[in-house]
Amino acid sequence: MSPFKQHPEIARAIAEAPLLSPVANQLLQLTAKADHDLKDVIDLVKCDSILTARILKVVNSVAMGLMHKINSVEHAISFLGERMVISIAVAECASDFFSKPLDGYEGESGQLWNHNLFTAIASRAVARLAKGELPPDMAFTAGLLHDIGKAIISEFLRGTSHNMVTDIAQGKTADYLTAEQNRLGLDHSEVGFKLAQHWKLPEVLQQVILHHHHPERADASSKALTYAVHLGDILAMMGGHGTGSDSMQYHLQQDYADHFNISRDDLALLLLECTEEFQKIEASLANREEH
Amino acid sequence: MKTMILGVGDLGASNSQDAEIKTYALGSCVAVILLDPRTRTAGMVHIALPEAKINPAKAHDRPGYFADTGIPALLQEMSKFGCHPQGKGLLVKLAGGAAIMDHNDTFNIGKRNLLAVKKILWSYGMGPRSEDVGGTFSRTVSISIKTGEIFLSSPGRPNWKI
Repeated sequence: MSPFKQHPEIARAIAEAPLLSPVANQLLQLTAKADHDLKDVIDLVKCDSILTARILKVVNSVAMGLMHKINSVEHAISFLGERMVISIAVAECASDFFSKPLDGYEGESGQLWNHNLFTAIASRAVARLAKGELPPDMAFTAGLLHDIGKAIISEFLRGTSHNMVTDIAQGKTADYLTAEQNRLGLDHSEVGFKLAQHWKLPEVLQQVILHHHHPERADASSKALTYAVHLGDILAMMGGHGTGSDSMQYHLQQDYADHFNISRDDLALLLLECTEEFQKIEASLANREEH
Repeated sequence: MKTMILGVGDLGASNSQDAEIKTYALGSCVAVILLDPRTRTAGMVHIALPEAKINPAKAHDRPGYFADTGIPALLQEMSKFGCHPQGKGLLVKLAGGAAIMDHNDTFNIGKRNLLAVKKILWSYGMGPRSEDVGGTFSRTVSISIKTGEIFLSSPGRPNWKI
């Protein structure tokens, strides 16, 4: 029997999860296409006055450090870049979903969003070190959404953290993904995949969400992207931006070296640069406007 | 109780007996904690990376970010409270330096941080009195300045002290 049939309450929680806004969804569809243009992004944003206002608010925030106020959405999007537009669009329509405490992981309110945001930044930075062609902004978007399954599965893992952590420490369970499987017959990446299908996210994002802990299982067309998010996720946890009891309790898949040139010094620089960018983006997304 | 919260690369010291110094979610970062029983001062630095040479400008702005600049900067900060500037008489405690599950240690910045921290401490003739380091879990650490106790927590684990 399918694990979702064994757990109809999880299937129901996915079906009842708030949908992304139409504009956010269209932005994700558009930016998943290799040949898209920034003008298409601008045209889409212009259809949504609330999103437009939010983008102008962010670009004029103290954290962006602009000398002069930007009043046009074209100028704002060109300055912020595609990844910031995606972050703002997703945060605008799903902030409650991403900000709720992850009780099943003993994670606090806001930790999931911060983890996803750091992973997005780090995945983008890793993508720049790819041996082949890998669009950095696509890695950012995939990183931003990779752990959506935790927002659903957390409720069904309440009270399990201590046993999960103890079993891993005693070598009875390989890692946290296995611990979730042992407990529920499914894990946060499978639940995330189902939610991604429900949200009608682009196929490539669905693949990353499903395989981000086992990128070797991703299909050839999304493998490098999935490895980028796998590494971005790990960098986020190393940088102290985990989601609670599962932080650091996953395996690094060594085959990443087939796709990326990352030396030990690169790794240190990545952590430093990503921490700085995270602090800047996080501050700009908060409501601190330039006066 | 007053709480001084340190972010990544921050350092701080206090002799206020009703205060604590705290840092959240160390991950691969290392908290170096210095305690001076003579002046009843405690200090902590939240170190993210081993060596400042990868970004000297960052080290200038925020010396606590790196082991080789963070420890001297913490000693300098503590000297403002009457502690010995070379660390004589200070007790050292360490926490953090965790790693992801990585059999080859490729991504083990936590271990490199710890080695760098110990190397700098040795150059001052100092070494840790106690430590809670390594492993595959993130730690939150706080110091009670009054008692010198170091409290640790991590989601899914009972709180503990070193």
